[in-house]
Amino acid sequence: MKISKKIIDNLKKGGVDFYLSVPCKLLANMIDILENDKDVYYSAVPREEEGMGICAGAYLGNKFPCIMMQNTGIGNSVNAIVSLLQLYQMPVVFLISYRGTPGEPVGAQGGMAKITQDILQTLRIPMLHCSSENDLEKISTFSKHAKVVESPVAILCDFNLMKDDK
Amino acid sequence: MNRFDLLNKIQNILKDNLVICNIGLPSQELYKINDQPNFFYMLGSMGLSSSIGLGLSLSQNKHVISIDGDGSVLMNMNTLATIGNRAPSNYTLLIIDNGSYGSTGDQRTFTDENTSLKDVALGAGCKKVIECSGEETLNQLSKAIEDKNNSYVIISKINSGNVKIDPIPLNPITIRDRFRKFIGIVKYL
Repeated sequence: MKISKKIIDNLKKGGVDFYLSVPCKLLANMIDILENDKDVYYSAVPREEEGMGICAGAYLGNKFPCIMMQNTGIGNSVNAIVSLLQLYQMPVVFLISYRGTPGEPVGAQGGMAKITQDILQTLRIPMLHCSSENDLEKISTFSKHAKVVESPVAILCDFNLMKDDK
Repeated sequence: MNRFDLLNKIQNILKDNLVICNIGLPSQELYKINDQPNFFYMLGSMGLSSSIGLGLSLSQNKHVISIDGDGSVLMNMNTLATIGNRAPSNYTLLIIDNGSYGSTGDQRTFTDENTSLKDVALGAGCKKVIECSGEETLNQLSKAIEDKNNSYVIISKINSGNVKIDPIPLNPITIRDRFRKFIGIVKYL
């Protein structure tokens, strides 16, 4: 719970006040925290691409949104990221559980893991790769950066960083 | 009645609300009929009008009308489940259902065959789902906006057909900033 709490605290410190998720077991603690947090909006959504649309609307309504998802969700969302969030320059934080990185028991997750950073680079999305607890301190500044540059940004949380966060 | 006639008929009610308008001909026709700063024209991301409007209605108190199409809703059908569980009462989804992909040359959609978006919306958990003719749409829209306790999905059944029209000349940041200025967020314009 310590890692998950730290991530949410830092997102909130960065101004994020509207959260969606397409669940992942590595995000489960964060979802628990958000469901019990009366200061922010939280909901699950069925699909990441749809979540990008809801985040865009939340930004238009003066919220600072974050969508939590597995790295597979980026694959589901490419057109929405480019032709909505980037076209209209909308800041949204992607909090991504980086499935398929070392420690991952499911071999099939490896395929998307290998190309996740390449996709984000191709999309010119600023990235913060968190592999240790110390990296989490950078999350609040990095979130604020999204607002300053009016762009979606991606935070990748390695499997091994999240897996023992009981 | 086609989409252009319908948009003409409901323009006065749209003018008083926040409107998210679907990509392609719906936005181009609305722009031509009566451009307003509180109209957010989609220039990409087909399928997401309902979702953008939902996020907006959850984030501020003004009434939001998402103008969507049958083809677009078929592309993002999970949106109806999210609306059925999460939409606040300041949200109305207006699906202009002409049974065709109008912007791409009027190819038939599945609503022109076996699919009923009314049934899908009801099954997805939307409580107030109205299917009506183009002529009745204005009346149904005003009732939906007046009801402060429920969100609505209105499916307006009209004929296919488009008018010849130019692309919207506004750039995306202009659309974004004048919309947010109308809500009272952007102060510098």
